[in-house]
Amino acid sequence: MLPAQLGRAPRHLLVCERSHARHPRSRHAAHVRDHAYSCRVSFLIPECGVLPEVVKSTIADIGDYYLVRSLPVHELVTHEFIDAFVKKGSCYALSYKTKIDQDNTAALLPNGKLILSVDKGTYEELGLQGRPSRYSGKKVMRYIITIDLTDAGFQPESKKHNRVLWALKEKKPLEFDFLLAWYNTGAEGSTLMSYFSKNQIQALKPKITFSTLRDLQCPVLQSNDLQGKPEESCSTEELFEWLGAVLNQVSLDNKSSSFLSTYCCPEPNTVVEKAFLCTITGFIIPEKIIQLLEQLCSYFSEPKLAYWLTLTVHGFADSPVSWRESEHGFHKGGENLYNFVIFRNLDYWLQMAVGAHDDCPP
Amino acid sequence: MEGQLYRRLPPEDSGELRLQPQGSEEAKTFVHAFLKRSMPKMKDEAIQEMLTRKAVVLEHYPKKKTKQKRKKTKGFTAKQRRELRLFEIEPEQQRYAIFLPLHELWKQYIRDLCHGLKPDAQPHMIQGKLLKADLHGAIVTVTKSKCPSYVGITGIILQEFKHVFKIITKEDKLKVVPKLNNVFSLELDGFISYIYGSKFLLRASERSAKKFKLKGTIDL
Repeated sequence: MLPAQLGRAPRHLLVCERSHARHPRSRHAAHVRDHAYSCRVSFLIPECGVLPEVVKSTIADIGDYYLVRSLPVHELVTHEFIDAFVKKGSCYALSYKTKIDQDNTAALLPNGKLILSVDKGTYEELGLQGRPSRYSGKKVMRYIITIDLTDAGFQPESKKHNRVLWALKEKKPLEFDFLLAWYNTGAEGSTLMSYFSKNQIQALKPKITFSTLRDLQCPVLQSNDLQGKPEESCSTEELFEWLGAVLNQVSLDNKSSSFLSTYCCPEPNTVVEKAFLCTITGFIIPEKIIQLLEQLCSYFSEPKLAYWLTLTVHGFADSPVSWRESEHGFHKGGENLYNFVIFRNLDYWLQMAVGAHDDCPP
Repeated sequence: MEGQLYRRLPPEDSGELRLQPQGSEEAKTFVHAFLKRSMPKMKDEAIQEMLTRKAVVLEHYPKKKTKQKRKKTKGFTAKQRRELRLFEIEPEQQRYAIFLPLHELWKQYIRDLCHGLKPDAQPHMIQGKLLKADLHGAIVTVTKSKCPSYVGITGIILQEFKHVFKIITKEDKLKVVPKLNNVFSLELDGFISYIYGSKFLLRASERSAKKFKLKGTIDL
């Protein structure tokens, strides 16, 4: 007999919206930008054997990221760092291999907010004002501390700055392995590599894998119909489920002898001779995802066989935030992801999904 | 029995013993005369009184001590004390430098208490002594607190109350820090002790007599 908890699935949310990529008030770029930490980007293009050169070059240029070993957090609140990186571009930092539900976690958002998600003991010792975590239950075991590094009151030698520096440097020195990425337009200053040269820093490249899927069953979609109609098109939920199966290489042939999955492609569907699937894993910043999204939109500028293509972005399961500064928790999977379905006429569907310990996506 | 005792002697017996039997009137006057003769100083009435029989109760009554009403010590009431601000330190007296000698005194006191406080002393022993020691004059730091703004306050303890410490900081600020949900640390000659304030909710005088038990949680 299954335990009671397994019988019920925890709460999860899927938000869908439809718009046009060239619409002046389309919010797709804003949604991508608000989702700061992405660990996996994959796109699926049906009826495509070879990737166009433009898209290929964008992928190759997806950008390095850095891994700094045991970096004290107080280095991120020094004014040298803030002036050199935070104020001159978008600086992303996320503690690496820290578990959101048991360890202390730190994240630096591009808007200059440093978010520390700490357990009760650390919070009591640290001496920085925070707020209890929303998902910690009646007896609060986790606190969220937000420090705005670009705040006017956060000047050097100000009371606030001294307090933060004292807390992180002397009171309770916190140290993490950080994933770092920095994006700036124009003005070249010193790089992260040279700034953290005295720390153990290494530059990492995102891992890119290509694969071509043969004879794939694809659902039929109507861009103006999110709900789908029986016999005519599939709904967004059905597509989302199917996409999950495709990305995880789950067989779609509904064999009765299979003990793992009897999933099959939703009706109606068409068989596509070949589909191109590319997966990029790493610490990918939203600016690059927006570039990639634009390139994929321009894929349809020439007539193509495919009716639609998809771009799926997975967030870090252990990141302290999902969209903007809304708190993120792990619970049973820590999923926070979004998926674009871009149609031939540049209409798009955006699906945003989160797990149990998350706010509703924007 | 009594009747037997006071019965007239039978004539045959009295004849044998050569006694002159007396009548009751005669006996009475004889007793009177006898007593008068043997106690010439006593008055007649006093003798008469002695002869009247009295019932004697044979139960024991302890003598009730008449309690002396203890005079109440003439002091101030709590209200008066509050109004007079007896235990408050005037703002011009709130200076760190004034209390440094007190701290020196306290250090000396602890060293004496712990037999010199040698580096090889047992921490256990020092712990036990410090638990009962007076803390006025100690330099303490708030290391852990449920409220983060208390964390990091360092200063000399000026007063200890049941629920709060009054601490003067180096910046000459008098801070009132509750004991509940705070952990204090005090350092002396390399020995660092932590005081879990939640278990310390006693007045200094009560604490010296209190037995601390290893019970409950030290979690804030």
